[in-house]
Amino acid sequence: MAKIHEITVWTRGVIMDKEGRDIASAFGDAVAMEGKHVQVFDNYEDLPDRVLVTTRKYVRISDEEIEHKYVYTNDHPDVVVVAEPTIVKGINVLKGLKEGGLLIINTNRPIDYMLQFIPNADELGAIATVDADGISGVRTIDFSGSEGGVDAVGVGAGIAAPIVGAMARVTGMAKKENLAKIVKDVAGMERGYNEVKLQKFRKFKSSLGSLQG
Amino acid sequence: MSKKLPEFGTINVPHERAVPFGAVTPAPVHVQELFMTSNWRIVRPVIDNEKCTRCLTCYIACPDSCWSYNEEEDVMEWNAGFCKGCQICIKQCPSDALTAVPELDFPDGVVRLEKPF
Repeated sequence: MAKIHEITVWTRGVIMDKEGRDIASAFGDAVAMEGKHVQVFDNYEDLPDRVLVTTRKYVRISDEEIEHKYVYTNDHPDVVVVAEPTIVKGINVLKGLKEGGLLIINTNRPIDYMLQFIPNADELGAIATVDADGISGVRTIDFSGSEGGVDAVGVGAGIAAPIVGAMARVTGMAKKENLAKIVKDVAGMERGYNEVKLQKFRKFKSSLGSLQG
Repeated sequence: MSKKLPEFGTINVPHERAVPFGAVTPAPVHVQELFMTSNWRIVRPVIDNEKCTRCLTCYIACPDSCWSYNEEEDVMEWNAGFCKGCQICIKQCPSDALTAVPELDFPDGVVRLEKPF
């Protein structure tokens, strides 16, 4: 079976649930436009209908068809995206991370400041931060109950746009041009692409393709 | 505590602990070690003991009984392990003694879990 790249997105229930879903689905769509095989799962194993609770979204990317369909969780993610920075303090977001994996945090604080909250940061290959709240400042909320099936706000209208831009830059998995066709806030996505800060560690391996900073 | 509490996830309430709907039950007297919800918090309430009048409104308002009154030292005490950061106490405080401070300003106070639950 071909190598599967796994991305786990951490977000908070209700208040940022749609943003997390937009990050996963917009990034998955952009990768799929390059002809790769993608699976995106939402809210499995967590309690997304409770305000502030930590929830996960899952993306899987592979060059060949992904055969395992009935396991929804990413046990060994390559990339972990944290849409709300306080989550790194309360959850071991690096659990199961592959050697030399990448952590992307939405925060305006310095990388060294965030590392004090991650006691197992030595497992990391690289860490990146993007100030999505400063760039966009909008947290779209979807109370329609449609779970994304009918979505009048659109994909990537809030802080999801700068975060997917940053993900595209540091992972090199998706192209910025493809993301621009998907997200609503194209200017925010490009600012996230340009303003992401990356710090590489000793364990860093460019297993994610063209990782650049 | 003489008897061990049932573990989280059990729904079979023992007969001697069952109460009718709408019953008034005593305030919690001990802390369980499961279902720590401190990692739900984005901001935490920080108390100004100069402004606080010990009116106990926060004690009544808190859904998780995170505020308690320490009679010996005459201060309100906050339980960091279960506060979800809902800010009800901050909104309800009549003397504006509570302020919301970002959780990342503090080095500790959050119970770090392996899974969301």
